[in-house]
Amino acid sequence: MSWLTRISGGTSVAIAQLKHERMRTVLAVVGLALAVLAATLLASVGTGVVATGQEKFDTSGRDLWITGGTARLTPGAGGVENPVMDSHKLQDTLEARDDIHTASPLAFKTVYVGNSTSEFETFVGVGGPARGKSVQITEGEAISQKDIHYANGTYEGPMLNEVVIDRQTANALNVSVGDTIYIGGTLASARQHEFTIVGISPTYSNFLGAPTVVVPLSELQEVTGTTGGDRSTMISVSLTEGNSPEQVASELEAEYPQYTIRTNQEQFEATLQRQAVVIASGLCLVALAFVAGIALTVNLLLSLVYQQRKQFAAFRALGGSTATLSTVVVAQALILGVLGGILGVALTIPAADLLNVLAAQLVGFEGLVQASDQVLIAGLVLAPVMSVLGSVTAVWRLSRMSPLTHLNA
Amino acid sequence: MRIANSTTSTGPQTSENADNQQTAPVVQCQNVTRSYTGRGSGSLLGRKEHTQTVTAVSDVSVTVRERELVGIAGPSGSGKSTLLHLLAALDVPTSGVVTVNGTDTSSLSERALARMRLNNIGIVFQHFYLLPALSARANVALPLVELGLSRKERRSRASTLLEKVGLGDRESHKPSELSGGEQQRVAIARALSTKPKLLIADEPTGELDTETGASILDLFDDLRDECALVVASHDQQTLDRMDRVVRLQDGERIDDHA
Repeated sequence: MSWLTRISGGTSVAIAQLKHERMRTVLAVVGLALAVLAATLLASVGTGVVATGQEKFDTSGRDLWITGGTARLTPGAGGVENPVMDSHKLQDTLEARDDIHTASPLAFKTVYVGNSTSEFETFVGVGGPARGKSVQITEGEAISQKDIHYANGTYEGPMLNEVVIDRQTANALNVSVGDTIYIGGTLASARQHEFTIVGISPTYSNFLGAPTVVVPLSELQEVTGTTGGDRSTMISVSLTEGNSPEQVASELEAEYPQYTIRTNQEQFEATLQRQAVVIASGLCLVALAFVAGIALTVNLLLSLVYQQRKQFAAFRALGGSTATLSTVVVAQALILGVLGGILGVALTIPAADLLNVLAAQLVGFEGLVQASDQVLIAGLVLAPVMSVLGSVTAVWRLSRMSPLTHLNA
Repeated sequence: MRIANSTTSTGPQTSENADNQQTAPVVQCQNVTRSYTGRGSGSLLGRKEHTQTVTAVSDVSVTVRERELVGIAGPSGSGKSTLLHLLAALDVPTSGVVTVNGTDTSSLSERALARMRLNNIGIVFQHFYLLPALSARANVALPLVELGLSRKERRSRASTLLEKVGLGDRESHKPSELSGGEQQRVAIARALSTKPKLLIADEPTGELDTETGASILDLFDDLRDECALVVASHDQQTLDRMDRVVRLQDGERIDDHA
């Protein structure tokens, strides 16, 4: 007999059986679609995180990142360990080089912030430049001057007491441009340090994925009581035109062996590596979704074979081959897989949009879930692969079916 | 009275012996024995095990010729089903020879046995075993997939057969929409779809009322010119319609008469 006849005959029976057992078919398709949806959404989140992270580094306007190792959480107040010492001096030394345009120390500290001296919430305080091309101001203005509080190794210059915040912080504190807020490393310190909101900017909150208040570095050090050591978390460097980041990084590494110097790409990869557990968890969830899809199909098709074992045995007794019965089972698996894949992929797009809205509201990132064409195509392929793999067990059972055993039972 | 188990024996003359030169044999069992070996507990504590051999059919010889209607009768456990399975090439004997269309079934692989059944033997089951999702026509046409016939040919042959068994107007109905007698007619049409030389039926009227059963037997009568028929049954009305009846008891043939 020709394979075409067998495939055509087997597929007709498969379609008839799927139509006959409509509820079973619908549930199987929905189950497979959910497995596909879980896998595609996780993959879309992964794609989005990578793309967004890459984009943030690319649009930061920086070429190199100098750190004193991993920025760890500290057990005491402040939240973040700032391992780069003498930040302002280092900044001056770096900016004296011909190949470096600007060097900007950045410090991150958990700070108390309130719109009055009676109630405070904690936010991420950023000490760094809140002006220039790399900082996007959506409302109001940037901070008016450079970091003037630090002068010649002392903190005796005047404080600007200007702050730039993001929209989430503004909403949380119910404040706007021109209002006054209080910032400090302790509640007592916060009550003493009054800042005027000069602008709204999403730049740092998008970069960190958290609501932020941004003040000049020395003023953050002042209000958090960390002026000793002039510490910062990292120094971002932008190069003058025509210089290779790799070349400059190599020279700086030789000059400052105590620091880690990374290009944008390296810094991004290092950031991803620090999220290894999260990434591994995501991959495990994708694998679990895949296994769940296979288990569902195995269960479904084995129940079909068991339910119709006598009919299948009768067909074998009449001279029917295992190959034809296997075609029926595999065709069913394939049809369920294709339908499940289409439904799963169709659901991925609105689900990704919904997650993006939620993510934008919760963490301020937009486009965090990116259902790329590759992810959608992978989802379409994934479902039939799962279901056909799931049909293997049923086909194996069919191949071991003895007509007499089932007809006599 | 017990008779000798071989058609060439010198025992009492049987109707088979009288007619055996008239038409060619479709299937032949010669001194066939079928035993099954299983494990049994040999002591009260079940510590010792020993193998236990049960002989379902012992030294039975039967020949079925073209256009013959042969009944197989006997009480439960007498070996009717086992003999039927041997004749249908669903099973092979422990000793002795079963030949279908001149081919020894013991010499064939599982796949070759299936092919032999497809080309030579149709089987009608007591419980019909029709696929519930398929229409009557699709059920009848299904075995034809194995013959490599086109969809059009399969549908055409199935329609013709359903017409023949009196279900021309019910071909698009599913088994659940048919009565027991109608389902059995579909099963008969399915068994005939591959144009077998031998039709084997196991208690074909066992699930049917008397009137419906009689109509099925009428149908078998009408099929006489197309193939030989072997029917295993407890039902005397069914056996009365056969050309001859082979009676079994405790796995041995005790009678074979017209």
